[in-house]
Amino acid sequence: MIKKADIVIIGGGIQGCSIAYNLAKKGAKNIVILEKNTCASGSSGRCGAGIRQQFGTKMNCILARESMKIFETLSEELDYDIELNQAGYLILAYTEKEINQFKKNVVLEQSLGIEAKMVTPEEAKEIVPPLNLEGIIGGTFCPTDGNVNPLYTTFGYAEAAQRLGVKYYPFTEVTEIETEDKRILSVITNKGKILTPIVVNAAGGYSGPVGKMAGVDIPVYSQRHQILITEPIDPLWKPMLMSFSENYYFQQLPDGGVLGGYGDPEHEIIGDNVGSSWQFSRTMAKKMVKLVPILKEVHMVRQWAGLYNMSPDAQPILGEHPQLKGFYMSVGFSGHGFMLAPVTGRLIAELILDGKTSIPIDKLDIGRFKRGELICEPSVV
Amino acid sequence: MRETDIAIIGGGPAGLSAAIYAASLGAKITLIDDGLELGGQLIKQTHKFFGSEAQFAGIRGIEIAKKLIQEIERCKNIELITNATVTGYYEDEVITIIQGADGNIMKKLKAQRIIVATGASENMLPFINNDLPGVYGAGAVQTLMNLYGVVPGNNVLMVGAGNIGLIVSYQLLQAGIKVEAIVEALPKIGGYLVHASKIRRLGVPIYTSHSLKEVYGTDWVEKAVISKVNKNFEFIPETEKELEVDTICLAVGLSPLSDLLWQAGCQMKYIVELGGYVALRDDHMKSSLDNIYIAGDVAGIEEASSAMLEGKIAGLNAAVSLGYRVDNFLELNINLRKELKELRANPLSEKVKIGLEKALIKREVD
Ligand SMILES: Cc1cc2nc3c(=O)[nH]c(=O)nc-3n(C[C@H](O)[C@H](O)[C@H](O)COP(=O)(O)OP(=O)(O)OC[C@H]3O[C@@H](n4cnc5c(N)ncnc54)[C@H](O)[C@@H]3O)c2cc1C
Ligand SMILES: Cc1cc2nc3c(=O)[nH]c(=O)nc-3n(C[C@H](O)[C@H](O)[C@H](O)COP(=O)(O)OP(=O)(O)OC[C@H]3O[C@@H](n4cnc5c(N)ncnc54)[C@H](O)[C@@H]3O)c2cc1C
Repeated sequence: MIKKADIVIIGGGIQGCSIAYNLAKKGAKNIVILEKNTCASGSSGRCGAGIRQQFGTKMNCILARESMKIFETLSEELDYDIELNQAGYLILAYTEKEINQFKKNVVLEQSLGIEAKMVTPEEAKEIVPPLNLEGIIGGTFCPTDGNVNPLYTTFGYAEAAQRLGVKYYPFTEVTEIETEDKRILSVITNKGKILTPIVVNAAGGYSGPVGKMAGVDIPVYSQRHQILITEPIDPLWKPMLMSFSENYYFQQLPDGGVLGGYGDPEHEIIGDNVGSSWQFSRTMAKKMVKLVPILKEVHMVRQWAGLYNMSPDAQPILGEHPQLKGFYMSVGFSGHGFMLAPVTGRLIAELILDGKTSIPIDKLDIGRFKRGELICEPSVV
Repeated sequence: MRETDIAIIGGGPAGLSAAIYAASLGAKITLIDDGLELGGQLIKQTHKFFGSEAQFAGIRGIEIAKKLIQEIERCKNIELITNATVTGYYEDEVITIIQGADGNIMKKLKAQRIIVATGASENMLPFINNDLPGVYGAGAVQTLMNLYGVVPGNNVLMVGAGNIGLIVSYQLLQAGIKVEAIVEALPKIGGYLVHASKIRRLGVPIYTSHSLKEVYGTDWVEKAVISKVNKNFEFIPETEKELEVDTICLAVGLSPLSDLLWQAGCQMKYIVELGGYVALRDDHMKSSLDNIYIAGDVAGIEEASSAMLEGKIAGLNAAVSLGYRVDNFLELNINLRKELKELRANPLSEKVKIGLEKALIKREVD
């Protein structure tokens, strides 16, 4: 293994790969990705890979919009078909309070050039004919939202990065980070030591422990999040169906299977357990059948789980640590880190190489928690 | 939620033997099998069994199944759930069961001990058009013919000359179906030579160092291309032969059906001599998890005779671990293990024995 690097990225998921690719694309050399398992074996390979631009804060809308712009041409850019499917997100509302929030969101989104609009229950049914409207009082639809194949996207970034000279070491686990004088010195792995002035923590569900290795306390924790897929069936509808209050997201994928899950922050296991529960498949089946009754006839074929890396305000923590020079973080994505990876990867690369970013992300720094400047995003699962 | 002392998953010779043994100690048993009938592989095995005499050698598989099922039906403390698939083993030690081929109700069962006796699945082979109708596993062909009285086709190419390939070829011939040839990738026949000579005498060529390269057909198999292979199993160019067949029968080995054990988090190991990934186990057939036991083909591809003995050992020890008593427990354990050892004391079991050694968790005291 290499002994010395200019930049070491810990974690070979979508974040680590996007950062590495963007660094290399900007001309950086001697970049190494260290992955304790295999490419996309973490949350990136387990996620729904839904991409939406419908958020409630200006910053998130802009980041999501810019990310979608990158996704739109990413297959060509990476020379890897990531199976982008821009079928839209239909976000459903069940309460007046939600409708009011959605109205505000739509005004904001439209002002930023995002094509979202309010829809009535009847319009929702036109978009998704098999929908059962029970309890639904409206919603929003953005036709340019969509999803990708998460494995192909991560592989695409990893391979493109390697073509630009990045070294990707699978089965290489970082066990220690050596620092001196509030600077990074080296990382120690199960395969040896690498001297480096810069470390990027992109360890997903393990970003907290990786922070501790560098003596840094990152206010994140990991929580299991489960997901299932059905057998492939004839095309029924296309967009992602999502609700914040009823708590679900699911979608028929282009190959016919219906994929989705729900968040269960009160009951789900905290830590790095990625096992499955029958309670999840039962509850999720009920939610799916209630909303799209015809799914009663369909079999589930698989369920699995991954980790949400949660931050106190459910927003990512991006940037260099103020007390540790050379220690960059791209963590705490709280369940929407796949969709943001193209843009955050680019911005982290800019930050490392130029010291500034083309879209401001300074509000997402780790210092915000001490300052009490948490970000209030109303639209997350 | 339903509860039981011991849930046994799989009603083949291993699961049935485990159930009978554990029930005889008084444990409450729930036996789940996905077949329409109990018996696992046995219910289609119309041939006389090889193996040791104590373990029914000379008797036909279907007769063994009948005997075991009769015994099961006499046990009041065995609950049977047939035509039902165990779909998962979850973190709260609950197993989920879906009944019926189109079942849409998920039953839950909580058992203090679980014996996994799910048997094996047939291996597939990669070749061009291997998804055409007419491509079967040998076990499926056996089921079609011997259980349902349906012939799979008229002209068969058998792939694999191990015992299963030879026996099923013979049964096809008995049913009046033409077996065009048997191909075997290894340089020599794997099964018993008596079986092989019987088939040769009936005019079926056995091509060793040959494999199936490709099949043709519009809606189903119409033609197969076989070819010679070298030591590394690579096709040798210009040795192809075309055969007019409508059925391909794959008898290229079995793999332990160990998915539930993976999900449970048992320590697993790839052991080529046992057919693939198996759970490590101690000599009580207990896996690395205290509540999970294994028996039969899922513990390593072997025979019905050894499956029954392993089932008995698993059943006995699972019941005793729950506090059910039997006077001569130690002696019973020793005797069952002795029988297994004798059964495996032949040159054909050498490979299995190497595999079993690799899979054994040695306990400090016994
Ligand atoms: C079920 C589910 C559904 C989701 N759905 C969506 C969705 O629809 N849209 C969306 O945008 N997001 C979704 N997410 C969230 C998304 O998956 C994550 O935010 C994103 O994948 C995070 O990427 P990452 O690269 O940071 O993490 P990961 O992909 O987890 O990568 C981190 C990597 O670091 C490695 N690692 C950890 N510690 C070490 C170490 N010490 N040394 C070396 N390597 C190490 C890990 O093995 C891992 O591969 C979902 C998540 C889950 C679990
Ligand atoms: C052609 C052929 C000839 C053979 N000849 C002989 C012989 O002469 N002598 C000999 O000793 N052996 C012979 N064998 C081997 C013998 O049949 C097997 O070793 C034996 O059947 C293994 O027993 P088992 O109980 O482990 O598995 P099986 O007999 O395979 O039984 C497993 C049962 O579990 C069920 N099951 C699996 N998964 C689930 C689930 N998730 N939920 C519910 N049910 C499930 C299966 O459907 C099946 O009914 C032969 C095998 C074949 C194929």
